[in-house]
Amino acid sequence: MRLLREVLRDWEAVIGLEVHTELTTLKTKMFCDCRLSHDDPPNSNVCPVCLGMPGALPVPNEKAIEYIVMAGLATDCQIQRRSLFYRKHYFYPDMSKNFQTTQGPVAFCMHGHLDLEVTGEGATERPDFTVEKDPDGGYMASIRILRIHMEEDAAKMVHVGGSEGRIASATESLIDYNRCGTPLIELVTQPDLRTPEEARVFMERLRQTFLTLGISDCSLESGSMRCDGNVSIRRRGARGLGTKTEMKNINSFKSLHDALAYEICRQAEVLEAGGVVRQETRHWEPSKRRTVVMRVKETADDYRMYPDPDLAPFCLSDDFVARCRARVPELPLEKRDRFVVAYALKRADAAQLAADPRVASFFEEAACAVAKEHVPMVANVIINLLSATKAVTSAQVASLATLLATDAITFMQAREVLELVDGTGDDPQRLVDERGMRQSTDTEALAATVDEVLARCVDQVRQYREGNKKVIGYLVGQCMRTSRGTGNPKLFNTILCERLAQEG
Amino acid sequence: MALTREDVRDIADYARIALDKRELDEMTSYLNEAIEMLQPIREYDLAGVVPTYHPIGDLCNVMAPDEPDAHGRALAIDVALGNAGATRDRAFRVPSILGNGEVDGRCQTSAS
Amino acid sequence: MPNISELSAAQIAYGVTCGDFTAVEVAQASLDAIEAREPEVQAFLEISGDLALAIAAKTDERRARCAPLGSLAGVPVAFKDNMQLVGTRTTCASRMLEHFDSPFTATCVQRLLDAGATPVGKTNMDEFAFGSSTESSAFHRTCNPWDTQRVPGGSSGGSAAAVAAGEVPIALGSDTGGSIRQPASFCGVVGMKPSYGVVSRYGVVAFGSSLDQVGPFGRCVSDVALTMNALVAGGRDPLDSTSQAMSAGFLDNLEQPVEGIRVGVITSLMEHEALSAEVRTALAEACAALEAQGARLVEVELRHMEAAIAAYYVIGPAEAFSNLARFDGVRYGFRAPDCATLAEQTARSRAYGFGAEAKRRQLLGAYLLASGVYDRYYYPAQQVRTLITNDYRDAFMRCDVLLLPAAPTTAFRFGEMSSPTQMYAQDLFTISNNIAGNAGVCVPIGLGVQSLMPIAAQLQGPAFKDHVLLRVARALERGMEEAGRMRPGVVAPAFARRGGVLA
Repeated sequence: MRLLREVLRDWEAVIGLEVHTELTTLKTKMFCDCRLSHDDPPNSNVCPVCLGMPGALPVPNEKAIEYIVMAGLATDCQIQRRSLFYRKHYFYPDMSKNFQTTQGPVAFCMHGHLDLEVTGEGATERPDFTVEKDPDGGYMASIRILRIHMEEDAAKMVHVGGSEGRIASATESLIDYNRCGTPLIELVTQPDLRTPEEARVFMERLRQTFLTLGISDCSLESGSMRCDGNVSIRRRGARGLGTKTEMKNINSFKSLHDALAYEICRQAEVLEAGGVVRQETRHWEPSKRRTVVMRVKETADDYRMYPDPDLAPFCLSDDFVARCRARVPELPLEKRDRFVVAYALKRADAAQLAADPRVASFFEEAACAVAKEHVPMVANVIINLLSATKAVTSAQVASLATLLATDAITFMQAREVLELVDGTGDDPQRLVDERGMRQSTDTEALAATVDEVLARCVDQVRQYREGNKKVIGYLVGQCMRTSRGTGNPKLFNTILCERLAQEG
Repeated sequence: MALTREDVRDIADYARIALDKRELDEMTSYLNEAIEMLQPIREYDLAGVVPTYHPIGDLCNVMAPDEPDAHGRALAIDVALGNAGATRDRAFRVPSILGNGEVDGRCQTSAS
Repeated sequence: MPNISELSAAQIAYGVTCGDFTAVEVAQASLDAIEAREPEVQAFLEISGDLALAIAAKTDERRARCAPLGSLAGVPVAFKDNMQLVGTRTTCASRMLEHFDSPFTATCVQRLLDAGATPVGKTNMDEFAFGSSTESSAFHRTCNPWDTQRVPGGSSGGSAAAVAAGEVPIALGSDTGGSIRQPASFCGVVGMKPSYGVVSRYGVVAFGSSLDQVGPFGRCVSDVALTMNALVAGGRDPLDSTSQAMSAGFLDNLEQPVEGIRVGVITSLMEHEALSAEVRTALAEACAALEAQGARLVEVELRHMEAAIAAYYVIGPAEAFSNLARFDGVRYGFRAPDCATLAEQTARSRAYGFGAEAKRRQLLGAYLLASGVYDRYYYPAQQVRTLITNDYRDAFMRCDVLLLPAAPTTAFRFGEMSSPTQMYAQDLFTISNNIAGNAGVCVPIGLGVQSLMPIAAQLQGPAFKDHVLLRVARALERGMEEAGRMRPGVVAPAFARRGGVLA
């Protein structure tokens, strides 16, 4: 098959996403008061309602409704004051009532959008975008959201007796209703995405947004956030839509990108060979990096949807919506822009910090504890030195950033300091002082070290004088080593240059 | 536009009710008779009439707080599984989803 | 010693509270009456003797401790077998649920237990409440205690028959299109369908969720009022989204005169061609009895009444299809053995588990909800529902209650209704009430001069004016007693003294 970038020069991809997100931060299910659980033994959080016992009735979880309204507000949706729950019928035992309670034509949230900034190498998937045109930047794309509706998740089924738990060869299936009835919001985009990278960035942005709202743990890996992608292709310049295929089993951002990329190339190959793309559901196999047919869709399913008579209509009040609005925290893009202005951060750094609400608040705690001009160094430390495994406090980061910003230690030393204070709560400044690690800015002492190094490295000095100026880096390194890391590398560099120039 | 036996068989397939030949004949004539009885519904001028799905007046926004097991309804495992015809350990058990070569759409464990 | 069937629920509760007899003695008397009368009536699917005696003993224990007793202390009560009660099966008279042990207790059942009632058993019904004669029960027929060759009506035929035969003073039924009122009429007892939302549906196996409502049977209006109090005293049920609060003052103004009350009559219905002559005559007497007490008759109309049956047979089956989809033999219910695939297991379990009428309604519902068909029937039916609701609203501006027939005739004989659609016409006078969500009650007004079977008048009132409705029902009952047509509390004569002595 041809490469994606080549294919996309001739063909335009039209991609829409359906994203299911479990509201994992709630305590109870959507229509009953069973506890939400991930790891409990099978069928330990079930009641007459979520087991679909005869006579059981649903009552909606108020907080789940608040959460979906927050999700809608965060994606600029129009909140529909009047909406209904519907019953969507299909016979399959993962839904205990053999219908799913979901929403009808009117969802709680309609007609929103999410704005993407597509940067870096991924931006070049769009053939009209070239790095040469815009070397640092990328492009903006506004993706329309058709709707976000409220529904309930299905039970987990384990297929037994076949190979790898695959359904095709299973002899029986076991059902665990713990997950059945978990509050689930489904977001459907308009088919506005044009490259796999845009789809990937969309999902990333959506995940950041939902994480910031605190409505879900948004784990693609564990399945609390799931994404199906619809894709069709058409000749560049064509107006109509091609036949689409639907991609399932996508459990990482990379899988989403790769599955769509594969599918675009596959469809192009089929069409270029004079074939037709069939409307079908395809399954992404990450290990083989390909999609395979799961089901051919000939006619639309008839779910016999009708308004659920057991659930009273919704007519959300201004107060309710205002309460939800008040609970929407600062969103990643707003936060990024504020970081750029308030802390003079680089846009990319600000975006990275703002993406994860926990990282952002950690950064702001640390930023409060340093002089204003040193805040960018705090960002630098968090982005370049910290890893998830480090157990350091924001106060320690603030202290470390101040040391770096005042040239008291080098980056190399900073790494060492970080190792030493990891998990201890010790103040980096005190530790540096105790161990005498503070970087020297005493020019006379540094000059002595420089002279020692120049005397030793006769070869390099000769090379420098012969025009190989790059060798200065080696000499600075030698100075650092000789001073056991306590010298300021910039000062070493300056002194070395002076000395080498003088004695030329 | 009477329903044919084939129409009725499709409806029964959808509703997952196996019918034998005699039942299929009976159901076909029943459905046609019943649908005939429903015709008055189509004789009114209903333009602009708002449907009433719930005969509950202005009642709306009925919700419950997010409190675990507030009503003590959680079922013990033996009660939860007690009426099931087939179980294994703590799970409900069903036969193979797909027969030989049958294609069924519900390959996912997730609802969508 | 009195016979259990001579006592009202109120008298039993009073006697137990005062110590005239114990709850256990009452339970034993009721079980004794059941044992003596059941062979001919067959009102019950399950008699929960042990549970009844255990609960009655607890009531006696409370009394011994001087703990407060409820308003139904020691009163034997029967529940339609679509109501969940832990310790009993809930079969809905279906092979599908033949062995189904109730995993929880319905709110309406729990509220009667909380008021001190003693549950003596679960009563027969049309399978999943689809029917008007109790003949579609998968297990056995129930006989009308006034003439065992005739049906008790349905779908709550077992509850009506148990009360009429004096086996219990009160019972609960459910009414989707007339399933309390029509059997009450056939069996000569009082049966009330409260306004939609007054009684919780939680734990009652659903038929048509927007139509179903639970209500009591009793041999007199005051017992029905007493039971209504117990049903609503706990306030709205947080487990039923459509439940609403109603005050428990049903007995407070029950005896108040009805002078000046406007009783609406619809001439076209009172003279409907389907009505038998004896029913027509009795209805005229009922009107006269209310007028004699100062009520004023006013002529009103319900313009879209003819569409009610059609709307009902769209909405009801559509909701029934959806509600019965859960019976797939996986979590509970009949499971066909030895199936190779899930789809086969589901289709075969449902084929065996459901009777003919349950299959008919589900197939009709599945058809009506199909895309394309939905817009032709389901949507317009819900629009017609709005028209019917508006008709009632207009009518209730001119009157306080409506007086209508309960059923076209008195109880018919077994097998007399030959086709399903003929049976559907039984609901002619009752279903519009379910469609609008209003309250309705049937009150016995005497025996037919030809059939010698009980006849009832149906009263309907606006939603959530259930107290007023029962007050008028009580006036009608009083009037018919004064006219010498019907004695409140009467038990079907053939069964009145068989067993049931309160020892």
